[in-house]
Amino acid sequence: MIVTGAPLAIYLLFAAPAAGALLALVPIAGVGRLAARAASLVALAASVGLLVASASGRWGPYIGVDALSDLFLFTVTAIYATSAWYSDRYLRAVHRPFLTPQVYYALLSAFAFTMISALLVTDLGLMWIGIEATTVSSALLIVLERRPTSVEAAWRYTLIASAGLTVALFALLLLYTDTGTLDAIRLAAAPPAATLPVLMAVALALVGYGTKIGLFPMHTWLPDAHSEAPSPISAMFSGVLLPTALYAFLRVYRVLGTAPPSSIRDLLLTFGLVTAVVGAFLLQSQRSYKRMFAYSSMEVMGLALTGVAIGGVALYGALLLIVAHAFVKSAAFYCSGNVLRATGTTRIDDVRDLRTQLPWTGGAWVLSSLGVTGAPPFGTFVGELLIVVGAVEVGADWVAVVVLIAIFLAFVGVNGQVGRMVFGESPAGRSPAAVGTDTGFEIPYLNVGVALALGVASLPYLAPIVRSATVLLGGAVP
Amino acid sequence: MNSSGEIEALIGVGILLTALFLQSESFVSPLVRGIALQSLLLGGLLGWLAWSQQSLDLALLAVLAVAIRAGFIPWVLGRQIRAFRWRLREVHAAQRVTGHALAAIALAIVAWFVFQETLASIFPQPGGALPFVLLVEGLLMLATRTNTIVQVIGYLEEENAVVYAGALFAPRFPLFVEVVVFLDVLGVVLVGVILSIQRDVTGTPEGSALEELAG
Repeated sequence: MIVTGAPLAIYLLFAAPAAGALLALVPIAGVGRLAARAASLVALAASVGLLVASASGRWGPYIGVDALSDLFLFTVTAIYATSAWYSDRYLRAVHRPFLTPQVYYALLSAFAFTMISALLVTDLGLMWIGIEATTVSSALLIVLERRPTSVEAAWRYTLIASAGLTVALFALLLLYTDTGTLDAIRLAAAPPAATLPVLMAVALALVGYGTKIGLFPMHTWLPDAHSEAPSPISAMFSGVLLPTALYAFLRVYRVLGTAPPSSIRDLLLTFGLVTAVVGAFLLQSQRSYKRMFAYSSMEVMGLALTGVAIGGVALYGALLLIVAHAFVKSAAFYCSGNVLRATGTTRIDDVRDLRTQLPWTGGAWVLSSLGVTGAPPFGTFVGELLIVVGAVEVGADWVAVVVLIAIFLAFVGVNGQVGRMVFGESPAGRSPAAVGTDTGFEIPYLNVGVALALGVASLPYLAPIVRSATVLLGGAVP
Repeated sequence: MNSSGEIEALIGVGILLTALFLQSESFVSPLVRGIALQSLLLGGLLGWLAWSQQSLDLALLAVLAVAIRAGFIPWVLGRQIRAFRWRLREVHAAQRVTGHALAAIALAIVAWFVFQETLASIFPQPGGALPFVLLVEGLLMLATRTNTIVQVIGYLEEENAVVYAGALFAPRFPLFVEVVVFLDVLGVVLVGVILSIQRDVTGTPEGSALEELAG
């Protein structure tokens, strides 16, 4: 089927970030910022257009959209836009940046372009190229602040993510050898028999893409890259890069049809639960608030994979969780950027009493932390609740218990630490780091608002597309 | 096995021997020469397959293997080693060479048996297990080494394994040349950009357990 009405939006989704990346390199002050902001808004408008039209179908042999890609495209472009708008204040506070603003904005748009490309293609090989290209386009952004730890983090990210993706490529080789095609739409429409090569391909894809999703034990790059990257990039890593990698895996997983063999579902469940629990435990002991949020992302991705493995209404919960989490986690990272700019430190012990020193940022940080950890009435709460309900519905009560333990641990850990930083008094004889002005809190509040609205209201266009994407993957809607 | 299959298997064994050599070496310059030799052997194998199958894609892959992974990247790595003004030996691996070599041999045997038990019936090509073993050896190198130049060599070995597997099992894999070009671009980014930044910022290619990145 050829998409009608959608080609302009698809064209804009490709062209806007690409043009933004190229225009940003024009050596005139302010052009980079303007180009990235304009490109991100055009891309966001195009993705909203796809949502409104509920676009679904193919455009040529390699390009296509459906409810699932529409949903992820919206999430990616929204966080791209908020990061492009938030970056200016953050960049101004960076001392001796490794990248000029032009190069920073060019790479930011290139990073968005690679994610969008991965979401728009129907060929699993091209999708793999898109995911691999996200590593190339984002690695240099991590070293912006020129710290030895940033370089080490960029290095680990590039190597570990690439090593994982070569395993994913091996998976695609196996899949192609058995099926003779890498067309995700064709494979989903007529799933091949679950032969040993196909099952191995899906398992290897889980390990390969799982590296980029942040699944335990391949997650080791994640806390380093998230904590060392500038905050707007951390927001994109946590909010949309991990879900984009999960999207690529879902396309391979979909090859098994809407009722995958239990062996593969058990594998997903194991990876998901272990990742959620390990992430929830590890975030307790973090000394850096950015690393704490990074481990929180790992926990959320584990929960999302668990929802995918369970299927049914839990799958709907997983997709809702991914979308709502993108907005609240990006808000949490933008607030982290504000706190870092004002205090000059990421150490939890050195930040106190933000309630009086950075009241607006402190407020947004508390709200976003609550949202990140699934407090009601955020969309993340609804998503996590549905994963638990889904587990109980299929009779996997023990899975529901493990999920609840991970949620509880993450809730206590994140909110306890953020609460101390916002409401806690400095210990006697120890003064907190110097505090600057309270700015840059508008975008965090905006993102928190979207996640709240996802929880308390069925947002027009967005909530229905989550349902459609769930049905597409064989899940059930509540 | 016909003579064509024998030639492929023979070159494949040569590639495997270079992989085992890389695991047992702690001096960096021989490691760079070792990966160049491995890529050259792979280029030869791809050239042979391209000629026997009359495949332009495989010929392009052969050119890429020789030009980028046997030529350009080792050349850049050689320059990096000189720029670091460094003793040309991986500090952390120096005391553990015997252990690395034994682990590499054990892992190669295990990988071989796993392949024979699971995938050999699907990929009956001569030496079909070799790319699988090479992939595992590359992962082992990435996991156990701390020197960034040596880690690049581990990455290149992994890339060689994937190209080897693609050429042997699925020579008509769509967009394979483009995929390999992307992997090469990433390799060039690794050696050309991030290593340079690391030299400027830290002054050493030895990875360290930085306290800020603990936990």
